[in-house]
Amino acid sequence: MIDKTKAWLKERILLDKKKSSEIVEKVLKEPIPKHMKNWFYAIGATPLLLFLFQIITGILLTFYYVPSPEGAYESVRHITQDVQMGFWIRGLHRWASNFMVIAMMLHIVRVFFTRGYRKPRELNWIIGILMLITTLGLCFTGYSLVFNQLSYWAATVGTNMIKEIPLVGETILRFLRGGTEVSGNTLTRFYNLHMGLLPTILFVLIVVHIVFVRIHGVSKLEEHEESYPFYPEHFYHTVVIVLFLLITLSALTVILPPGIGEPANPSVTPPHIKPEWYFFAVYSILKIFPLRIGIYLSIAVLIVATFWPFIDEYMQARWPKIKINYWVGSLVIILFLIFTVVEIIVT
Amino acid sequence: MLVEKIKFLTRREFLEKIFLRGGLIAGLIAGILLLKNGISFLFPPIQKGEAQKLLIARTNEIEVGKAKEFQISEKSFFMVKTESGMKVYSAICPHLGCKIKWEQYRNRFYCPCHQGVFDVEGKVLSGPPPRPLDEFRVEIKNNLVYMWLDENQGIIA
Repeated sequence: MIDKTKAWLKERILLDKKKSSEIVEKVLKEPIPKHMKNWFYAIGATPLLLFLFQIITGILLTFYYVPSPEGAYESVRHITQDVQMGFWIRGLHRWASNFMVIAMMLHIVRVFFTRGYRKPRELNWIIGILMLITTLGLCFTGYSLVFNQLSYWAATVGTNMIKEIPLVGETILRFLRGGTEVSGNTLTRFYNLHMGLLPTILFVLIVVHIVFVRIHGVSKLEEHEESYPFYPEHFYHTVVIVLFLLITLSALTVILPPGIGEPANPSVTPPHIKPEWYFFAVYSILKIFPLRIGIYLSIAVLIVATFWPFIDEYMQARWPKIKINYWVGSLVIILFLIFTVVEIIVT
Repeated sequence: MLVEKIKFLTRREFLEKIFLRGGLIAGLIAGILLLKNGISFLFPPIQKGEAQKLLIARTNEIEVGKAKEFQISEKSFFMVKTESGMKVYSAICPHLGCKIKWEQYRNRFYCPCHQGVFDVEGKVLSGPPPRPLDEFRVEIKNNLVYMWLDENQGIIA
């Protein structure tokens, strides 16, 4: 019976054992430069694995979540307090989103300081920036879905900020809100973005990103660097990181389970309202600078970040002795940390 | 010979060209129309109301220097009695849309999101708000206070 099934499948799948093992061999034995033995170079795969993890936990959450202003908060409360293991699944989803942002930031820092974006890898850097933006979009729409006070006011403030983008701001605002105000339409749109459009975009970007990495190969730090195969050492580095992450995520969820806060109340803005930590720097800048300057500043930073490989190349050609990426990278990290810490300290 | 140099189109070639080019142009127009209407699918229609004059209070309801919050169809407003008369402001901060609060002990409006501060006249005292509070036209008749809402529920100052 089993043999018959095997033969039946074999005829239909047309699996060529030799060919497929050759492909697997090629993928696993991909030569990577020796510097990749350093653990810091295994961070790139973690956002991908966390993304897959988010898909699984996210799908589980949709079994209970209700995307309507009347039902959203109650359904999150139900998941967290009534459903068996609900707080755990939700907590994992929430903590993994934070870890995904951290992992992406670390990966970007690594690529930036090692100038991994050098020719011919400029496009892959831009794809990376697009992935970061998409991920932050996922985070923003994600915590808006809880529909508690933080969600509601973050959605209000966040979409109002978008309004200030020159030329297209008003249109994007109306698209996101599904009207002029934050309403039920906004919630269903955020739900769609969070579990439909944005994950699809991110998935496509990830595929293109990895294909590019494979086409270009990993950039060498020195010209004549030795190589070693991707499997087993680097592969196991990644596996160990994933196992570590899963344990940490689970432990964090148990120690610091996700709260649900107060239900959204459009007629009261609570005192000390703050977004998630990764938006602290922007939030803090918005308090210090007038709105328009703050928004223009953010857009300028985004444009420079996107086209950094070209800017860097130009600067290198002009001033070959100065390691401009070290200076710019350090400055950005220091400013980000200062503004974030200021926001943590200031109530 | 001149005649030999000119390449005549056969009927088939002529029809093929006409259909191909015509098809492309028609397809392009259809595509543009579809895109235009398709995009409008993403933007739900905004229903405009009518300009309204609403009775909101009696003049003796609040004292000078005090403010009172009220709501009209889920929108919040503040009514303030100042030396110069009765004022009505939107309770939405013109910075990023948070809800402002009236702080009686400091005689000011305060936005908790980005620490915007406004005086009783709605002017910005400190913080990042780019403009004063949105003010609405007020009418007083027979000791009754009315406010005007325009068709966009916006400002008629």
